[in-house]
Amino acid sequence: MRLRLTVSLFLALMALPGSPREAAGPALFQAVTPAAAETFTSPPVLRNGSEKPGVVELDLTAAPARLELVPGKPTTAWTYNGTVPGPTIELREGDTVTIHFHNRLAQTTTVHWHGLHIPSGADGSPLNPVVPGGNQDYVFKVPAGTAGTYWYHPHPDMTTTEQVARGLYGALIVLPARPTEDPLAGIRDRLLILSDNRFQPDGSVDLPDHMSPAGHVDAENGREGNVLLVNGQTMPALEIRPGELQRWRIVNAAAARIFRLAIPGQKLLHVGSDGGLFATPRAVDDLMIANSERVEVLVRGGAPGSRAVLQTLPYDRYDPHTRPTDWNQPRDLLELRTTTDAPLPAMTIPATLRVVTAIDIKQVAARRALVFSQGMINGKTMDMRRVDVSARLNTTEIWQIENVVAMDHPFHLHGFRFQVLDRDGVPEPYVSWKDSVNVPRHSRVRIAVRFEDFAGKWMFHCHILDHEDMGMMGILLLR
Amino acid sequence: MTKSGKTFTTALTITATVLVTVVAARGVRTEQANTAPSDIVLRGRYLVLTHACGECHGGGDDPAAKGFLAGAGLSEPLVEFKIGPPPCGVDPKATGCFTTRPRNLTPDDATGMGRFTERQLFNALRYGLRPEDTPDVTITSMTPGKGNFPMQPHYVAPPMPWPAWRHMPDADLRAIAAYLKRGLKPVVNKVPDSEGPPDFWASGMTPAEIGTYPAPAFPTMYEQQPPAANHARVMRGRALVLEHGCADCHQSLAGPAAKGYMAGITSPDQEFVLGGCFQDPKAPCFHGRARNLTPDKETGIGKFTDQQIFNALRYGLRPDDTPDVKITSRTPGQGNFPKEPKYLGPFMPWSSWRYMPDEDLLSIVAYLRHGLKPVSNKAAASDDTPDHWASAVAQLGAYPPPAFPTANEVRRK
Repeated sequence: MRLRLTVSLFLALMALPGSPREAAGPALFQAVTPAAAETFTSPPVLRNGSEKPGVVELDLTAAPARLELVPGKPTTAWTYNGTVPGPTIELREGDTVTIHFHNRLAQTTTVHWHGLHIPSGADGSPLNPVVPGGNQDYVFKVPAGTAGTYWYHPHPDMTTTEQVARGLYGALIVLPARPTEDPLAGIRDRLLILSDNRFQPDGSVDLPDHMSPAGHVDAENGREGNVLLVNGQTMPALEIRPGELQRWRIVNAAAARIFRLAIPGQKLLHVGSDGGLFATPRAVDDLMIANSERVEVLVRGGAPGSRAVLQTLPYDRYDPHTRPTDWNQPRDLLELRTTTDAPLPAMTIPATLRVVTAIDIKQVAARRALVFSQGMINGKTMDMRRVDVSARLNTTEIWQIENVVAMDHPFHLHGFRFQVLDRDGVPEPYVSWKDSVNVPRHSRVRIAVRFEDFAGKWMFHCHILDHEDMGMMGILLLR
Repeated sequence: MTKSGKTFTTALTITATVLVTVVAARGVRTEQANTAPSDIVLRGRYLVLTHACGECHGGGDDPAAKGFLAGAGLSEPLVEFKIGPPPCGVDPKATGCFTTRPRNLTPDDATGMGRFTERQLFNALRYGLRPEDTPDVTITSMTPGKGNFPMQPHYVAPPMPWPAWRHMPDADLRAIAAYLKRGLKPVVNKVPDSEGPPDFWASGMTPAEIGTYPAPAFPTMYEQQPPAANHARVMRGRALVLEHGCADCHQSLAGPAAKGYMAGITSPDQEFVLGGCFQDPKAPCFHGRARNLTPDKETGIGKFTDQQIFNALRYGLRPDDTPDVKITSRTPGQGNFPKEPKYLGPFMPWSSWRYMPDEDLLSIVAYLRHGLKPVSNKAAASDDTPDHWASAVAQLGAYPPPAFPTANEVRRK
């Protein structure tokens, strides 16, 4: 069922020669020229075409490109500006942004700016498709207080899985309005876009027919790859100096896989979630990151010359009928190499990173239950003409997401960040901004959300892309 | 309790030797359930009791028992099934088996049926479709992709005997759904999820395996036209035998058109194994061997009188070991009840069947005797206990069942 490749794979990010968008300017996420010891690379940062302060103008093109997703086996991938992952979009709070998007695929697509609080017309939902050959300007302003790690990906009706699998995903970073506002300024930033994929022996993306047994398993579990990727690479080596602290912004861009991250031998300092930094860091042994979620962690260099491995530990998100046999095996993602440089002086981490205020739930306009079953929300599948939830602007609501089936379903709400109140009745121990939250099998998660600024129609759905495609999605109408 | 020799076999593995729970020798009323309740919830309750739902889902046949219908693990014994290629379910050492568990049928939102509609429960009973994986829609076809039938149906795990239950009239299935949703108090009990193959059992749910719906017209080549005077009773009996899944054990799951219908098991793979040996190799297990129910005089029920078969269904008394007399008491030694009763093993859910009206039991007898062709097939005797199951029977709940509502029940809109 799951394709087994007999060759060991070393996937490298292969930017096309003369790729239209090269890293430019003093960007934080520059394409890193690998040093002798470091094989880790980051996607290029998309160049801002505007010179005006506070104004960002970007060009983004979805088009097929000949790439080696598997080294030595060129294939046709679908790319943003010629690379997989796509270029990193770097914005600042308060920026006025125009993204000129061009669809040069043979399929209808959209670009969804996952997690951004922007007008519904700019959200890239299936309600605003961009036809083949079509163009779309996404225009929005980056709200204050939203510095954090986001991402972008296609969100067309029923074909998202395929488009993401073929290579369409990228990161979007919102930085504070002024660099001095970053409590972690001075700490080296690293972007790790986690994903997975599955390939045919010829190096092409393995997308089985829906009616085949393998396609059926994909439909159930969500399509999981057997090759685990960090920025499109398998098992890259990332360097850190002894004593150095690095800030890793981690995006889970996989269609369905949930990563449970750990670096055996060190605790991770969990400092942020989907919507940016926490008030205070929390030390954890391992960290779950469901598909479409983001985490920020601080990682410390070890003894000079030492090596460590970023792993994903076993986590059972599966229905027993379709659980892969190797689910209980830890998998390696990335090698962390501590250089033999002189140790850096210990860096202090601020005790308070920023103020994160809990949403006021004294006045709640509505409490709703969304029941997630297999492929359905409240017993229904998606209908683009239907409104599933009607709510008022400038109100606060509490939503209870109930999962009544034997596998996990990650919930995502477009356009509005929320806070988790409790999980199975256990109060969330800290306040954080989320736009996606995993709802484990047979459990319930309550969230509080404040609807402000943007009327219109908004999607909420299971972020297992196959489930989203099958219609495990609903529409929220805000008036 | 379903068992198919071809694609999977089933066995009940329980931690104690007792599966059956009910029967006290107090009341002598035998016609208590003779009037079908007009109230939909009470009708559903009657059907749940007489279809032995609690035998697997908890509480046995006693709606007052702890954990009634609340799923595996809440009340002892723990019920699990081992489903897979033979000898799964028969041999504890078999490999490649899936463990399935009866789920919580109470209307708890998170762990039971609370979040499913009565229509979804109806679709589970009629079509075997898992309510959590099937949209809340009216289904009008059994062809995948047509009439709202799912393109890739997800079936409830064996041995849930929906292939038998589906033969009940619509109104009865709706009544069961209504009772589960409106007549039970919610109980929080998370049953571990059943295992199964990636196709959610679809490859085993073919007409060749589970028979056709609706059932083939009477008589099939294994059935015969009864004398005209018995016709109505035989037809009623046939409907009851179908909807109670008698052939799930007495062979064959594939229904009245299949060879060996109701003629008993023909292979050790078809045995029904019950006991703790699946959890603990030192614990005992008992092998049930469903016998030949065709009217064959040597190997079937031909040698027994109607009264003896009736006594087996009503009182669990083995026809071979019980005199041909009308019984008027449940106290051993009184009213013709044997002083030392020898009971059928708990593989046979007579403790549920006993709640059926006399006329229904007599209709079943009439069908077996007059509606089936005799087939010669001698199945070996089932395992027995030294007391012939008397101590297990002593633990059964009251007869007739306690009045509605018990502490587990409630009347809800």
